[in-house]
Amino acid sequence: MGLARRLTARLLWGLIMIWLVASATFFLLLAVPGNPAAAQEAQDILHGMTPQQAQRATAAIFGYVPRQPLIDQYRHYLWQLLHLNLGISIAQEGTPVSHIVASAFPWTVVLALSGILISFVVGVCLGVLAAIKRHRLSGDALSLGGAFVNAIPTFVIAILLFYLFTTIWAIFPSGGNVSVIETPGFNAGYIGSLVTHAVLPVVAYALAIVGAWLLTTKASVISVLGDDFILAAELRGLRRLTVARYITRNAMLPLFTILAIALGLLFGGSIFIEDVFNYPGLGQLMINSINTKDFPVLDGAFLLITVAVILANILADLTYPLIDPRIRKG
Amino acid sequence: MTTTVALTPEQLQRAMRRSRLRSSNRWLLFVNSPGRALSCLIIVVFTLMAIVGPYLYPANLPINVNNIYAPPSLAHPLGTDFEGADNLALIVTGARYVLLAAALAAAITIVIGTAAGLVAGYYPRMAGQVVMRVTDFVLAIPGFPVLLVLSTIWQFGALWEMGIALGVFGWGGIARAVRAQTLSLRERPFVEAARGLGLPGRRVITTELLPNIAPYIGMNLMLTLTGFIYTEVGLFFLGAVSYSTSNWGVMLNNAVFQANAVTSTRALAYLLSPLISILLITIALVTLANAVDEFFNPRLRRI
Repeated sequence: MGLARRLTARLLWGLIMIWLVASATFFLLLAVPGNPAAAQEAQDILHGMTPQQAQRATAAIFGYVPRQPLIDQYRHYLWQLLHLNLGISIAQEGTPVSHIVASAFPWTVVLALSGILISFVVGVCLGVLAAIKRHRLSGDALSLGGAFVNAIPTFVIAILLFYLFTTIWAIFPSGGNVSVIETPGFNAGYIGSLVTHAVLPVVAYALAIVGAWLLTTKASVISVLGDDFILAAELRGLRRLTVARYITRNAMLPLFTILAIALGLLFGGSIFIEDVFNYPGLGQLMINSINTKDFPVLDGAFLLITVAVILANILADLTYPLIDPRIRKG
Repeated sequence: MTTTVALTPEQLQRAMRRSRLRSSNRWLLFVNSPGRALSCLIIVVFTLMAIVGPYLYPANLPINVNNIYAPPSLAHPLGTDFEGADNLALIVTGARYVLLAAALAAAITIVIGTAAGLVAGYYPRMAGQVVMRVTDFVLAIPGFPVLLVLSTIWQFGALWEMGIALGVFGWGGIARAVRAQTLSLRERPFVEAARGLGLPGRRVITTELLPNIAPYIGMNLMLTLTGFIYTEVGLFFLGAVSYSTSNWGVMLNNAVFQANAVTSTRALAYLLSPLISILLITIALVTLANAVDEFFNPRLRRI
């Protein structure tokens, strides 16, 4: 009972979800106009391969053999997926999709996590401020500002940042992840270049969700402030710091549930941010593979994003009872 | 220190009239500050644009290759685009696809989300569990990437196609929120009384629960709308969806990736016209969502 059972149930459900999404991408690929897998096979035969060779080559790229019975194709695809084999890229001939996707993944995750961290600190501080000053003009202005920033689309933020700080006032490099003139390695020039290239995208990520943190923190703190135990703590003459700790510990709970949602949102936002800043992460990979009709890469990147979001959700669900004793007991 | 005051019939009538008056005055909340009045105006103007916009201009806008990327002028209040077409005309004619698709998506979201949330909240055992599993699934799939992948087989040419695609993947959040509200309403005395009377669940849901959740849904509707506008404009902006007619996202895509508007000041007007349209709608909807909240939520009302 308890944690172990919860863990297995959640993981099982996560696996089912991943299987459903993987199946959906498989059948989606079949529905692409012109059936890319069959087209690839026909082209290989045209280029002088024997039908058997062509069939094997296509199977390597897409993870299934076209013109086999559908159920066999599907089984083949799932079997390959189980071995983390996502097929082979069409655009970058011969490179396994898993390599391409794995090399793009860290760029997105590091930037998105930095963005979450910065926006969390800033948003929570401003949210507490907005809650304390809620009867004053400054508090109103803070929450209104939070609502607006929250509503501004990520791509608008990205375009405006790019335009303002690389064209009008060119203090940051215009796109890319690192300057080509630096030699890769652990030296000041290379790392400095990495950082300056990352600043604007990270700010874009942070601005995309800082409003959500602010508004939730404000609402949460206000609701805790009205609770009886806070009044009791104050009346007992506890130190202000202790009362503040009571408030934060209780007000943090709803914030935790947003964390998983924020992660999903950021993976969506990464597509815009990386497209505008020409940053080589998963988002840009998806856009490029759509433009070059590199469907194995597109599906691989999509699967990876989905799996990451599902796992983050499970993680959030499992750690929640550790933070909130009421759920642990219930 | 409670004292009961016996009212004469005239006093009673006057008090009732006053309370009626006050409740009809509540609509003034939407125009009682300059910001809100302006937001209402913005929404009305953009709605009119979406409805009659395409009829105001010829089907093929006049172009002028000698006057591309012009800055704003009297003839072209918002400047011109890459072939010399009027930006204002592009904004007005492009509004229909963007706004009507978002409205359709929001309608689908509200219907599915409310129904799922009510069922999951009112029947927390079997039916609720099943519905919540489906909801969790919809929530866990990252919405924008899924639309991007879908766009490889489905080009969203008609606005109703875009609306359906957006709506089908977008209802998870509302379902969860409505479920939470239903769960807490379910324990309230008036709902328990209705159940105790033996009313069928369908009736309790429609006559007791739904009216109490409606304001909440109304506020969510505004925020959902902004989300959908931004998702579909984003799809066109990325150039992932091929297009036959121009709309705001297509304008942004052309401005950023073809006209290099972000690396030079050449096509600034072309870049800013769709950007500012989106920002105006977003800000207006957020302001009105606040007003709706205040309209229905007595604790927020300024006396």
